[in-house]
Amino acid sequence: MEAGVAVDIRELERVYTPRKREPVVALDSVSLTIPTGEVHGMLGPNGAGKTTLVKILSTVLLPTSGTAHVLGHDVVEETRAVRPLIGIVFGGERGLYTRLTARQNLEYWGALYRLSSAAIRQRSAALLERVGLVDRADQRVEEFSRGMKQRLHLARGLMGDARVLFLDEPTTGMDPIAGREFRGLIAELKDEGRTILLTTHDMVEAESVCDRVTLIDRGRVLATETPRSLGTLISRFQRIDVAGADGALLAEVAALPGVSSATPQADGSTRIEVSEEGATAVVLRRLVDGGVTDLQTSLPSLEEVYVQTIGERGLGV
Amino acid sequence: MRAFLAGARVQLRFMVAYPDSLIPFFTAPLFTIVFMLVFKHAGRQDLTAYAAIAPVFIALWWLALFNSGWTITTERWNGTLEMLVAAPSSFGAVIFGRIAATTAVGTLSFFEAWIVARLIFGATVTIHHWGAFVLTAFATLAAMAGTAVGMAALFVLARNAVTFSNSASYPFYVLGGILVPVSLLPHWVRPLSAVVFLSWSADLLRATLDAAPIHDFWPHLGMVVLLGACGYAVGLAALRVILVRVRGSGELSTT
Repeated sequence: MEAGVAVDIRELERVYTPRKREPVVALDSVSLTIPTGEVHGMLGPNGAGKTTLVKILSTVLLPTSGTAHVLGHDVVEETRAVRPLIGIVFGGERGLYTRLTARQNLEYWGALYRLSSAAIRQRSAALLERVGLVDRADQRVEEFSRGMKQRLHLARGLMGDARVLFLDEPTTGMDPIAGREFRGLIAELKDEGRTILLTTHDMVEAESVCDRVTLIDRGRVLATETPRSLGTLISRFQRIDVAGADGALLAEVAALPGVSSATPQADGSTRIEVSEEGATAVVLRRLVDGGVTDLQTSLPSLEEVYVQTIGERGLGV
Repeated sequence: MRAFLAGARVQLRFMVAYPDSLIPFFTAPLFTIVFMLVFKHAGRQDLTAYAAIAPVFIALWWLALFNSGWTITTERWNGTLEMLVAAPSSFGAVIFGRIAATTAVGTLSFFEAWIVARLIFGATVTIHHWGAFVLTAFATLAAMAGTAVGMAALFVLARNAVTFSNSASYPFYVLGGILVPVSLLPHWVRPLSAVVFLSWSADLLRATLDAAPIHDFWPHLGMVVLLGACGYAVGLAALRVILVRVRGSGELSTT
């Protein structure tokens, strides 16, 4: 195991064999290495295998084959070593004792993470402050909004002072302001040197907080890149938005090698998309030579990458 | 030990938060009335000890068994079962702590049953052997919690553990001889009773209410402790095996 590796996954496979039904491959030869201190996004549609992966890394599910290590410990053979090092936050309404107060929830999990009584008191108070629930600390969780529950989830996941955090769609149900605060919190956790594996559907979230993103679909890793280079991957593939160019010039540019499309936009401009490295420079030179000054180049957003890579399959999973 | 205490503490909080889990405290006095009436009208006041002890055992065993099933089921409903298993503390120790706290609180049913016997029927329940009573009661509580951990292991496999735990209590009432003495059961049932700790502890507790000396107290108490410890050990081992199995099948969080 290399130094500085928080999560190391090699050829991981998980097959579910439901009774009287065909086996379902949830993970198919997944390999991934996450360095210590990285915020890693796992992006994919429902049923892609994100939660299965988190469950295996959390030691609650066994892989069918392959290996996974967290901070050098095998998640199958060394569960006792792995468990004190990890924190788990599963998204959604569940995962909390709703008839207990926020503080009681945290105190219980602190005890399960073998903290002393003094440490439990100190840590639960600090975390309640950190996630903005200090005024609701002694209120039953059943009275909380969904966003408040999500914040308490995160505090619970941090009670054990985890070095590696698995956050499974943690911002589900948060309003935009809470979501922004959450992203700030992720940045703080990263500054503390924690490693975070974040599964999400939220492209903005993945783009803004993740050092690298893995696209996963049908149990297979499609790509692992920085959010920016993932965009580059698709759009070697840059796009150029042009305004004020005459039809002849646009037709000439559209015919240049490496240009894949020139599409009129609703605002009267034209979007030119290139599909070969170096084509952008040629297009730009021709446009400028043709007297066009109103143009803009851009990379696709992560959302576009996601849609292009995984395909617009709608609600089908 | 810390996991045990964490489980016990949270269980006490749950008991406050879920008053419906305290149902046996409402039923124990009613059972006492029914049993006392039956024995009184049969002219068997000599069986007062049975009427006074049986409701307590019913309450304690129901609390232990129901809570072991309830714990597994509610952890699944809450979506916390996986996180509990993934925590560094021993899952079995946490469950043991939770059930032990429940049964410890359940001892209040002793007072309930005996106050009802006194107030309604004028029957006085006298403890003639205090030391033996306390030791037996303590060993019984530990054995109940230990055995219930074993049942919890099975409940991890069950989709609806609460229903299972409800129905699983009745055979133990019979085999434990808590109201009808084991000696009145068919011969072929008695070997089964011998491996149910309730039968040993029920006999002992009734004996502590009798002025006569208790015969073979220590061997009987030893059997209660031994069977309870066996239940706990088998339960922990089963729990380990079953957790590995459900980790493999992916059924840990299945509701």
